[in-house]
Amino acid sequence: MSTTPKDLLTIDALSDADIRSILKGAAEMKQVFCSGKTHPALAGKSVLTLFYEPSTRTRSSFELAARRLQADVTTFSVATSSVVKGESVHDTIDTLMSMHMDYIIVRHKNSGIPAVIGRHAKASVINAGDGAHAHPSQAFLDAFTLQEKYGELSGKRVVIIGDILHSRVARSTSTILKRLGAEVAYMGPGPLVPLQKHTGIPRFTNWDAIFDWKPDVIYLLRVQNERMDTPYFPSADYHQAFGVTEERLKRIDALDLSIMHPGPVNRGVELCDSAMEYRNSLICNQVENGVAARMSILSYLTPRTQHND
Amino acid sequence: MTNTYIRNATWAPTGEQFDIRLAPGHSQVVPELGNLTISDAEVRPAGQLNIPPQARVIDATGKLILPALFDMHAKVEIEGRSKRESVTRTGQAAVQGGVWALLVQPTSGFMFDNSAALDSFREAVGQRSAAEMIPAGCISQGMKGEQQAPYNTLSARGITILSDAGERPGNLLMMHRAMKYVAELDMTLAIRGDVPSITANTCIHPGTTSYNLGLHGTPACAEEIGIEIIVRLAQDAGCRLHVQTVSTAEGVEIIRRAKAAGARITAEVALHHLLFTHENVGEYDTNYKTMPPLRDKADTEALLAGVKDGTIDCIVSDHTPCPPFAKKQDFPTAPQGMCLLDHYLPTLYTHLIKPGKLTWAELVRACCVNPCSIAAPDVMNPEEAEGMPLLMFDPAATTTVSEANLPCGTLNTPLLGQTLCGSVTLPLQ
Repeated sequence: MSTTPKDLLTIDALSDADIRSILKGAAEMKQVFCSGKTHPALAGKSVLTLFYEPSTRTRSSFELAARRLQADVTTFSVATSSVVKGESVHDTIDTLMSMHMDYIIVRHKNSGIPAVIGRHAKASVINAGDGAHAHPSQAFLDAFTLQEKYGELSGKRVVIIGDILHSRVARSTSTILKRLGAEVAYMGPGPLVPLQKHTGIPRFTNWDAIFDWKPDVIYLLRVQNERMDTPYFPSADYHQAFGVTEERLKRIDALDLSIMHPGPVNRGVELCDSAMEYRNSLICNQVENGVAARMSILSYLTPRTQHND
Repeated sequence: MTNTYIRNATWAPTGEQFDIRLAPGHSQVVPELGNLTISDAEVRPAGQLNIPPQARVIDATGKLILPALFDMHAKVEIEGRSKRESVTRTGQAAVQGGVWALLVQPTSGFMFDNSAALDSFREAVGQRSAAEMIPAGCISQGMKGEQQAPYNTLSARGITILSDAGERPGNLLMMHRAMKYVAELDMTLAIRGDVPSITANTCIHPGTTSYNLGLHGTPACAEEIGIEIIVRLAQDAGCRLHVQTVSTAEGVEIIRRAKAAGARITAEVALHHLLFTHENVGEYDTNYKTMPPLRDKADTEALLAGVKDGTIDCIVSDHTPCPPFAKKQDFPTAPQGMCLLDHYLPTLYTHLIKPGKLTWAELVRACCVNPCSIAAPDVMNPEEAEGMPLLMFDPAATTTVSEANLPCGTLNTPLLGQTLCGSVTLPLQ
């Protein structure tokens, strides 16, 4: 019998069977979660969240998911730890491994850090977002949310709008959607949308082209000012040029398109106020499904820690 | 001195003439090679050597003889090791790789901006290094790019080439004035093309790999604009310029045009830019993190064409030892640099000569004659006593690269585990 992967670092590293199994698991875990029950998948296991970057929803979503699987959850607070005293990531991980953690959920501003930890640790490492590289649990909750709405995703069209260059969500979500047969396009300000020859994904820079492309889903990304050392675009124009304005919302409504956003939303930038109450907004479903998807991910992986076996 | 006679050897760059001077001992090694222009395709058969009865004779059947290599871009300092050990280990690595002399770039531990640093370095080299190590003086004090180094002092200590070791040339006004000053001293400035404000916080060539890995790309145009700037400044100042580690096709083109227009410039390419592309980075393999970054296949091809037609004068190792821990970090944090020096000639042979991409004559020009005349013109000067040694190369031998045969002791080389063709005998006596 083949074992499941140890780590979840990227969508690319998973087989089609892994992806299908985790998505199927998410549906089952949602039943557990929504009925207020727990599942013993991680009973006796220890889970650590190690967030080098600020996060509210991803971190609490993972912690809630782990507790619903009956795991012990430890929060490693980077701001008050030895990390601020200059400890390297390697040495921090050595310290944490000595505590016999089974799962390490890590977020870091540098691309590739979870892979470094994954090579080093026996624990299952889950990438909760590394730089502009990958955010696979977000990809699963997005795919799961769309499957709930549309069933099969084959042939569905999703346009991801905004700062693609800095977005790990764009990379991971586009990858999983393509693996599931959906078509993906990118749209945003010129300097923030990588070339199609590098991404293999159609590239648009205005809404008219998007409506012509006939998408089913409008997926908006947050403008990540904190990742921009030097301005990439005239920010005063963003909402008019790339946001969902009142006018565009009417058109979206008339075409019965769905709206998604990984949060947190900058109101008045990516979305106008009324878009937040739009009938086909899946934003709250994404948050709810985040817990179910993360429960499924945690229960699917196989740590190489021996002490409890 | 006991004479050593080599018989049945083949002169590697068959049929090619090079205006080189051989080290004194070598006129005895192979008398027919003489002490000046080598015009013979073949070293004469042993029958025509007048070998005394007790002499040491090396039968070099199937082996090649060529001038030992001169690497004009290497860093010697190994972080975490003493300076003396750094010199010893790098010297061993160089000689094993077929390199008899290195132009040593300044580093924080070997800051060649004062005569004391030069003296102590030369003393360490004299006592401990198996290879010649020629220091490159700093362009700026402490390589900070703010204040010119004391060029007269450095020149008086025999420094002919100045480099800030590939640091980004930040203050162009300082650089322009430095160029005007050293033009009078007949020194050469070695600089890399870059526009720091465009390449800050970048670590990989922009393309499919950078997109997949979520890493910031270092646009080729920044390097090309940087080359244009330093070439124009040097022309204006009347200073000799050596362009370091050219990595892009358009960079080669800019140098080709400038040379055609009569600019006093020379240029180099790092061996890794001829062998690898950004796709080798794969899943964050930090051994492939270099500065400038590894580029596209089209760039490697243009660089090789540049070497072949003489636009690019030198192939260099850009040897940059990194402590093993440093390269285990994440890609953006890990230091840049690669070590190919320990197996330099076998790597050149396996990847360029053997597949027919480069001839022996082109290799001797790019790895020996040209760097020597740019960085150590004294070696080429018939009035001076020094000369370059020869080495023997056995193309039939193979080596699998492992920790045991990396004398430099740093493992930041993508060659680990690779089997290379050829082995070097240096020195010959």
